Amino acid sequence: MMVNLSLAMLLFLFGAIIMGLEILSSNLMAPYFGGSVYVWGSIISSFMIHMSLGYALGGYLAKRNGTIAVLLRFLLAGSLLIILIPSIHNPLCSFMSERIDDMRYASLAAMLILSFPVLILAMICPYIVGIFSVFRLNSGMSAGLVLLVSTFGSFIGTNLTAFYLIDLYPVSTIIRILGVVGSAASLLSIGLNLDRRLKGMTSVGQSWIRTDRVRRL
Amino acid sequence: MKAFFTRLVVAAGIPLILIALIGTAFRDNGVADSTILFEGDSIYNHITIREAGGVRCMLFGRLRDNRETCIRIDAPDVSIFEYTAMMFTGFFFARKPERVLLIGLGGGYIPLVFKTHLHHVMLDVVEVDPLVAKLAGRYFDFSPSGNVTLDIRDGRQFLKKSHDSYDHIWIDAFNSDYIPSHMTTREFLLLTKTRLNEGGIVVQNVHNDNRLFDAQVATFRSVFRHVFLFKGKLSSNTIIVAADDPLYKPQDFRRQAGRFVGKIGAIDLAEQLAKYDPDPEIRTAPVLTDDYSPANLWIHKKRGVPR
Repeated sequence: MMVNLSLAMLLFLFGAIIMGLEILSSNLMAPYFGGSVYVWGSIISSFMIHMSLGYALGGYLAKRNGTIAVLLRFLLAGSLLIILIPSIHNPLCSFMSERIDDMRYASLAAMLILSFPVLILAMICPYIVGIFSVFRLNSGMSAGLVLLVSTFGSFIGTNLTAFYLIDLYPVSTIIRILGVVGSAASLLSIGLNLDRRLKGMTSVGQSWIRTDRVRRL
Repeated sequence: MKAFFTRLVVAAGIPLILIALIGTAFRDNGVADSTILFEGDSIYNHITIREAGGVRCMLFGRLRDNRETCIRIDAPDVSIFEYTAMMFTGFFFARKPERVLLIGLGGGYIPLVFKTHLHHVMLDVVEVDPLVAKLAGRYFDFSPSGNVTLDIRDGRQFLKKSHDSYDHIWIDAFNSDYIPSHMTTREFLLLTKTRLNEGGIVVQNVHNDNRLFDAQVATFRSVFRHVFLFKGKLSSNTIIVAADDPLYKPQDFRRQAGRFVGKIGAIDLAEQLAKYDPDPEIRTAPVLTDDYSPANLWIHKKRGVPR
């Protein structure tokens, strides 16, 4: 139970953070490259390519290591990188806008600022699906459910950021908040020692629902 | 099975037909004798060119006709909207401007006035939407020639990359429901300031009935030493004229403006100057920055009753 709930929380939270970052990207890019449709093209395409790389890496690592601890360390690193974004944003964007004359490619290059965090955060879905398949764990968390929770988190993250947070706080503050929340969630999950709990579930050879019931009985 | 499909088609079809009928009923909600000359989508806008009663308009958006530029076909230099005439008050502050930058083309009314009545002034126009420029050429007789040039680009990008300097910079790049927020910030105004000649001014059209207004004025005041406001009598438009070193200071503005007699084509400048608001009621609002500019949320919030 604990494992599933924690993983669901992580999926939800990082799904929200990744889309919060995508919404904020336009605020990060517009002062340097304008608010034209080209800039949105750069933002979306950059997210797509880094997410696809993250998916591949996540799936690969899950197969090789198969421990949640490894994933959590990655997520912690990704969240810490998010906290750094506001500090490197201005020099990087200024550099790109001065060096590259065509703002389509300049803005695409400037999206480098989000590449590593997005790549790392995107690992979470395939990684968790991978863990379940490695453990052959009938946990009730199907691949579909993993994506549902994560994408629902993205829905909340998108609207929370676009509708409310931008109204309340400076963009740099929102980004740091997202990074701090992500770091806190990763650290907390590391503390929960989810791998041991997961092994406990599988050693019984039953799904968590049953083990949970057995324990209660 | 066949009956099921027939029923399915009927069940799905009837609402569809109803929607289509309601759609057509609401479609022609404009003036009765209006003709649509063009309707289509650009990468940024849904644009309609409509003509009614000798007036031709470029409309943005579908149902909300709250951004449009119009031209009277028989007298194209007559300002149909109050704010376009008001923007020419800038000419009072710098007697002989040689070079003006306009951000936001629309139907091209302002360039038309420059072409017909101000040929000695160079006007550079920046417009982000290529279709707007094309339609302005096809339906509003706009052409980048003579004293008028055109650049298809984001306004802030243009200013950043350009090394030219201007006597006036006019900003008219938004509508009442969307504003490019990167052109509302302190950083943007600081950039425009670096592109101004000595004694140069920035002229911007804003709406004074939403919460963004106070923040825009606060932002202008944080960048320029003098900020003059001209309040529309017929519309909710306010024209901001900002300068570090204007020809007149606010204290002697009224007296000077009273003496002023001048016309640019059909625009009576004295009449526009009379809209000067010496003591505008501006509420405390934060300065908009690149880091914090909820411009597109505030533009939809009514100003409400002052606290």
